Amino acid sequence: MKLIGTCKISKNGAFLNGKEVELFSSDTENWKKECYTNLNLDYSKFHKMDSLAKMAFLSTEIIKKEVDLSKYDENELTLLFANNSSSLTTDLKFINSYEVKGSPSPSLFVYTLPNILTGELAIRNKWYGENCFFIEEKFDVEFFLEQINFYFSKGSNACLCGWVESNKKNEECFLFLIEKNGKENIKEQLTTLYKQ
Amino acid sequence: MSDLKQTLKEQIIEQLNLEDITPADIQDDTPLFGEALGLDSIDALEFIVLLEQNYGIKIADPSEGREIFQSVNSLAAYIEKNK
Repeated sequence: MKLIGTCKISKNGAFLNGKEVELFSSDTENWKKECYTNLNLDYSKFHKMDSLAKMAFLSTEIIKKEVDLSKYDENELTLLFANNSSSLTTDLKFINSYEVKGSPSPSLFVYTLPNILTGELAIRNKWYGENCFFIEEKFDVEFFLEQINFYFSKGSNACLCGWVESNKKNEECFLFLIEKNGKENIKEQLTTLYKQ
Repeated sequence: MSDLKQTLKEQIIEQLNLEDITPADIQDDTPLFGEALGLDSIDALEFIVLLEQNYGIKIADPSEGREIFQSVNSLAAYIEKNK
């Protein structure tokens, strides 16, 4: 397999293939909106997304600046995502909507599953391949590589993978694109780029 | 009426969890559904809740929603007429 590209975003900055891209000020509270604006995107559904979906969406759009993701047939790209906190941030907002505000919010309820973000990416990019979202204790390269190998054995030719986390302490997304053809030892590369 | 429209914009943002949007981003005649704000049928439910909770207005006929929820202008006019 071969590592095609990576993107890591958090309030500390955006990094494409390990190099910082100036898309927002690191001290801004609305860094995701600033990033969206500076990417010159026009996708109004973005504003309704929860934090997980926004980060996965923005990371994908940043990678698309360098990699032509439309080259993949609609079924050959697999989406593999994981995090530790599931959709906890939105779950708490949803609970607040009916316990405090008096009525369960349908627009929050939509995002009370973390795998909704894979649906958002699929709709945006017209990807109809496999997708999975795992809950893991921490970012684990070996776990991702096991899953990637499985999906490559089932016919996928590329995997867009992401560790995307949103909780009170941390908001980050590390996205990486792997292609089937190639012989690279990507474990070390990914570990280094994630720690950046 | 202009106060009501400003309040409505703030309530729409709050009710629909549009965290990145400010009242200034919503013009009085901005179509609420479709391309501008990206709202859909899920959000129509939020509008029904918003009218009930904040203005005590119940929409008896859901088919009226398309016209009422067209813009802040139409929402404000409906509230003024039915409050």
